[in-house]
Amino acid sequence: MRAVGWGVAALLVLAVQTVTAQDTSGDGMPLLSPVTWERLLNSDDEPNNWLMYHGALHGQRFSRLDEIDRENVGRLELKWAHQIRQLDRNQTTPLVVDGVMFITESPSNVTAVDAATGRAYWRYEHPLPDGIRLCCGRNNRGVAILGETLYMSTNDAHLVAIDARSGSLLWDTEVADHTKGYSKTAAPLVVGDTVVTGVAGGEFGIRGFIDGYDAATGERRWRTYTVPGPGEPGNETWAGDSWRTGGAPTWLTGVYDPELDLIYWGAGNPAPDWNGDLRLGDNLYSSSVLALDRETGKIVWHFQFTPHDVWDWDAIQVPVLADVELNGERRKTMLWANRNAFYYVLDRESGRFLLGAPFALQTWAHGLDESGRPILRENVFPTTEGTRVAPMAGGATNWWSPAYSPRTGFLYVNSFDAEGIYYQRDDEYEEGSIFLGGGHRMPLAADHYRSAIRAIEATTGKIRWEFPITPRTRSGVLATAGGLVWSASVDGYFFALDEETGEPLWRMSLGAAPHASPMSYAVGGEQRIVVAMGNVVFVFGLAEE
Amino acid sequence: MAFTTSAAAEEPENPYTSGIDVRMGQRQFQSKCTSCHGLDATGGEEADGPDLTTGSFQHGSTDADLYEVIRNGVEGTSMRGLRRAEDQEIWQLVAYLRTLSGAVDLASLPGSAAAGRAAFERLDCGSCHMVQGRGGRLGPDLSRVGERRDPDELAEDVTTPDAEVSPRWWTVRITRADGTVVEGLRMGEDTFNLRLMDGEERLLSFAKAAVRSVERILESTMPAEPLSDEERDDLVAYLASLRGNES
Repeated sequence: MRAVGWGVAALLVLAVQTVTAQDTSGDGMPLLSPVTWERLLNSDDEPNNWLMYHGALHGQRFSRLDEIDRENVGRLELKWAHQIRQLDRNQTTPLVVDGVMFITESPSNVTAVDAATGRAYWRYEHPLPDGIRLCCGRNNRGVAILGETLYMSTNDAHLVAIDARSGSLLWDTEVADHTKGYSKTAAPLVVGDTVVTGVAGGEFGIRGFIDGYDAATGERRWRTYTVPGPGEPGNETWAGDSWRTGGAPTWLTGVYDPELDLIYWGAGNPAPDWNGDLRLGDNLYSSSVLALDRETGKIVWHFQFTPHDVWDWDAIQVPVLADVELNGERRKTMLWANRNAFYYVLDRESGRFLLGAPFALQTWAHGLDESGRPILRENVFPTTEGTRVAPMAGGATNWWSPAYSPRTGFLYVNSFDAEGIYYQRDDEYEEGSIFLGGGHRMPLAADHYRSAIRAIEATTGKIRWEFPITPRTRSGVLATAGGLVWSASVDGYFFALDEETGEPLWRMSLGAAPHASPMSYAVGGEQRIVVAMGNVVFVFGLAEE
Repeated sequence: MAFTTSAAAEEPENPYTSGIDVRMGQRQFQSKCTSCHGLDATGGEEADGPDLTTGSFQHGSTDADLYEVIRNGVEGTSMRGLRRAEDQEIWQLVAYLRTLSGAVDLASLPGSAAAGRAAFERLDCGSCHMVQGRGGRLGPDLSRVGERRDPDELAEDVTTPDAEVSPRWWTVRITRADGTVVEGLRMGEDTFNLRLMDGEERLLSFAKAAVRSVERILESTMPAEPLSDEERDDLVAYLASLRGNES
């Protein structure tokens, strides 16, 4: 009897260990097992973790966790919060790996905390030099992980590798010279054993690029310029030497399709932003998406959303990869709600334009032609007196992640129906200085304009519902398998909507604006929902019944 | 005590204040500052830089304070210093910033502030507007309006109050579920709620989901009194003089 009893107890301990070692804490079980490339490829199969910035390589920001659903979301409560020390914008999407959460902080720091309690293991502070050129705040959006190493962009345009268990610096590679206006803010993307990463600096006349680095050593394997040089295809789309300062930065994390073995990455505005006379031509590959070969970084195809962009409409959105049925045929597509107010469906194998429709107020184009190129209206370019055009420079949407739910087939997008007045000014490039060629302002306060989370039917571009927001939103969107869509608004609310109707099912006033995109993970078998708002990372879960 | 001999006396004065300096400062501003502080320096739409046109600054409002902030930035915020700029460039920026706020020579205005004050009282403006802690709550507090608005803007404000109504002073008409109607000034509106002050200066809060309809009225509640040119100029002179001082 006694011997049997011990045997049962031993079995129970083993069983508990097997079930919980991956994602619980507080019981002394080892956490954080190495994140292999195989795990990253199959991240959808371990929804308790959030292994990369978008959650998965396809960029859908959809969590298969379904514990929190439309029936019980009313029982949501705050589990813990993490206060960020610097007073700045808080753009982080944390990663969670087997019970450990990695939170980046402004300007270029990262903290590892217990995902169950929020209590810290370690903190890495990246030393920054003076005089960093940043257009839009000392931001950092997150890390990438491979094995037991984290990869992070820093504001001084470095890429650093940090030991995920201790926070020690493993290597530090200068990606570009920050004194020339380059900076780095986005989470890198791990593809195989390569760390893929881009740069910011489109307001400083940089020449943008996307790089691949050896994950083990930090040595660069390839560089693909988003502004082609002389002799390269596309250089003819830049008048004279304007390509040298052409911008086209790459400041948001791209995605990867393992079957096609292609990396997809968006490129931002051409420089200078508002004076197109200084860079006549289409200005490839600014305001475009690029498909790159994984091994060489070579451009396989490109699609330019806004040729000769003079409104600052960076194509810095998440390329959302989804296989959908179009005209009775299953297609490998890329879904893209662009800052220029059009929604696009592209064939992600060829880059061919399949479908397009406005999803927000726009007054700059009659529509898109059959190749997807905009048909411009008259008098939409900036002038010295100012030209009124919708959307405003911040865009109909921006870099905040959309979410795609395979359950509904809807792309959920934060959208803003505002106008801007665009001014053109003379400008001269000076290395390391702001290079805008004009200015922009909104003619009316934001309260005058409509803002909403919109559910775009992926296969038609039709808006199936919208949830209006006052005055607007600067948050990404998360969809979860419990039938919920999560987002936040500048009035300080974090909320959950019904994925099918947009009906608000839960909300909490967190008192400060978001600048980030929510994510979800599980710890100890319980689902958590995470959002960064104000200077705080908030973690929610269900209260006990 | 030595320190009473005034730090102010030792503060450097701006040596670059000519018209050319102001224009050079404006160019500097347009190239280095507008992405956070906005094209017209009233604050950034996207990057949250503060309004620089009010005449008072969070980190000190003397020329020397402004120089310090522009040169070295503000620790813990997005405001970075122009550490490599020439002294002259920074002073020119200071000179430009000075032109954005309350730098009006009151003596140069055509109207009489004293007569304007009398007109303000005769027209009963104080029933809605507060000045130095006295007056009503149904219009903007004017105690520092001379810092925020230049004389041309003030003239427009008193003659055509509907020309530019900030969302704070819109009227909201709410029809409750039972059909009764409430109107009030829009003190705050967010995605889910509305907060109003009604005509009796009561604070009201509504959940949008619980009311039948919400209508915005974008006109000002201020009556457009017919004013003679002289009355208008006097009122402008009085309002321009309101800079947080006892008047």
